Amino acid sequence: MDFNNTKNGDALVVIVSGRMDAITASEFDAQCQSWIEKSETKVVIDLSGLEYISSAGLRSILSAAKKMKGAQGELLFCGLSGMVEEVFNVSGFAAMFKIYSTTEAALAG
Amino acid sequence: MSKRHGIAFKLAAFILSCAFVILVVIVGYNYNYSRDIILRQAEESSRNLARDTTGRIDSVLITVQKVADNIAFSLEDATLSKEEILELNKRVLANNPEIYGMAIAFEPYFLEHDQLFFAPYYYRSGGRIAFNMLGGPNYRYFYMDWYQIPKELERPVWTEPYNDEGGGDVLMATYSVPFFRTVDGKKVFAGVVTADVSLDWLEDMLEEIRIYDSGFAFLLSRHGTFIAHPDRNLIINQTIFTLAEELDSPELRSIGQKMLAGESAFVPVDNVFDDTERYLFYTGLKYGGWSLGVIFPKDEMLAEVRKLSKVTTLIGIAGFIVLAMLIIFIARKITNPLHKLSGAALEIASGNLDLKLPEINSRDEVGDLANSFGVMRTSLKDYIENLTSTTAAKERIESELRIARDIQMGILPKLFPAFPERPEFDVFASIEPAKEVGGDLYDFFFVDDDHFCFLIGDVSGKGVPAAFFMAVTKTLLKVVSEKGLDPGDIITKVNSDLAAENESCMFVTLFLAIMNINTGETRYANAGHNPPVYMPCGGKPEWIPPLGEPVAGVMEGMEYTTKTMTMHPGDVMFIYTDGVSEAMNPENELYSDERLMDILTAMDKPFAPELVKEIDDSIKVFTRGAEQSDDITMLAMQFCGKCDK
Repeated sequence: MDFNNTKNGDALVVIVSGRMDAITASEFDAQCQSWIEKSETKVVIDLSGLEYISSAGLRSILSAAKKMKGAQGELLFCGLSGMVEEVFNVSGFAAMFKIYSTTEAALAG
Repeated sequence: MSKRHGIAFKLAAFILSCAFVILVVIVGYNYNYSRDIILRQAEESSRNLARDTTGRIDSVLITVQKVADNIAFSLEDATLSKEEILELNKRVLANNPEIYGMAIAFEPYFLEHDQLFFAPYYYRSGGRIAFNMLGGPNYRYFYMDWYQIPKELERPVWTEPYNDEGGGDVLMATYSVPFFRTVDGKKVFAGVVTADVSLDWLEDMLEEIRIYDSGFAFLLSRHGTFIAHPDRNLIINQTIFTLAEELDSPELRSIGQKMLAGESAFVPVDNVFDDTERYLFYTGLKYGGWSLGVIFPKDEMLAEVRKLSKVTTLIGIAGFIVLAMLIIFIARKITNPLHKLSGAALEIASGNLDLKLPEINSRDEVGDLANSFGVMRTSLKDYIENLTSTTAAKERIESELRIARDIQMGILPKLFPAFPERPEFDVFASIEPAKEVGGDLYDFFFVDDDHFCFLIGDVSGKGVPAAFFMAVTKTLLKVVSEKGLDPGDIITKVNSDLAAENESCMFVTLFLAIMNINTGETRYANAGHNPPVYMPCGGKPEWIPPLGEPVAGVMEGMEYTTKTMTMHPGDVMFIYTDGVSEAMNPENELYSDERLMDILTAMDKPFAPELVKEIDDSIKVFTRGAEQSDDITMLAMQFCGKCDK
């Protein structure tokens, strides 16, 4: 799993690519920890490059969102497609988080 | 396959072959160089020897010549009486030991008109001087060579060697000088003075020249006749040319020609006289047209060189053997510890880490190797001990996990048919646990006489936390469901209980349905679980649409809705976890919902237990034994009612 972080104004845009499963989910946890340490308050996660997400991946996202919330920050999602979008819909994650179609929309939101 | 050789052998072979080459070169060079020196010395000494010898012979010959010349000069004085001539002859011979005999031979009737012969001859015999008057009917000396040739040539000559029977009766060569007297104003030939040289004397002198053991000297006359030679049969009887003829040696003939021409040279003469190789030095004499030859046997000349080479070779071989033993000793000293180490390595490789290592105290690379070897043995031992304890600990944990897994699986209903006394429905479920402890769950039970609850769930993640979460969820669901609530209310209640103290953010997806087994009316709720398949009897299977409600256990206070549908006799509801659709084959391809739907669509008159088994088989065919990463859980609920199956 790869992360590509770019700062855009106040927000941090993170492009996640690869597979997010039980093995790689801990990398996402570590990334989340670094955002909090850098006091990022608005993190836009671009999932357009993500091929697969397992339940462990979803747990990591939940955990990250909870931590961000505790640090007065928020997680926004964009670029969902295919299997990832389906999983978000089925699991109800789409209802729990702010989902945008594009990065621009997320930054504006 | 080439033969295997040890270090000792290779080292010895390499060094010894080098040493052998060096030895051969040294001995060979030494032999050649010494031989050249010896040959040069032999040539030089033969020159000296020959010069010395010819000098001595020449000095004799010149003396003889001078004596004869002087007498001839005296005889030209006509006043000498017969007595004076005899006295002169005798006295001169007595004073000149080199001369064997001397004659003064006059022309017939020259001295006395009535006397045909006048030729007094004094010669040595038995240590005294004997006298003989030459001439007689049987010895008409006028016709002898020694008389006729100088007379005709009118100058002194050396005769060819001959056996003078009339005179001294020994082998001799004669120097003859003609003398003349003036008669009537004319110079006329009066006779000859001869001085004989005994060839025995020459031979004795040449024999004094000892050249090695079988070397010798010989003397040739002007015409090539042997004057002196150790083989006395050759003297007078043979010339060098007749000998060459006899030996069939053109080489000897050519040498003879050069000798008669008075040349001087040092030449090899191999296989001329016999099978041995020899050198010949020849040189001409100043007087008499004679030529001296000196023969050197090559074998004897080079005997010293051969001896030297032999000794050098023996010393070399001895050194060679000492060197070989030394190399083998050193190589053994190196390889013996290596052999021991090699044996110890094999022993250690077979697992005996407590082996006592061979004592190697050499302070060199082998010693270093032995030390490293000891360190390796200790490290290996530590590592293996470490590994053993780690493995034991790991095995203990794994065995505990296995037990936990067994307990976890034990809380799921496994007895089928579950309700054989109830013809209204048929339920069948299966779970194929992954290697690692997972969090899938299913359950089914009556909430009252008419209502039957069935559910399936999938806890996020794996391992012991997931297993605990699953057990808690299942227990909660059972307890809450038996209160007679709607499915949505059940999940709402369970969700708030689970989310209350859930710091770890674990969650569970749930599908829960309650069926009225008399009417087929089914109410259900879905908390983020993948949609089940509804298979109407005789119709096309279809997904039961997801409600888009979130997974359970995360957000406290979530409200879940209840949906209602009606199942007809023969209809089946198939619910499963994503372990089914995400089963992977070795090429990392997913089994997928589409494949599942295709197989379900193809089924004719589905029957709950067979349906589950059929899907299970198709998954196994698809994955081809690839390792399963998630639990595979399926549940099929068939409403029978009055279906005429």
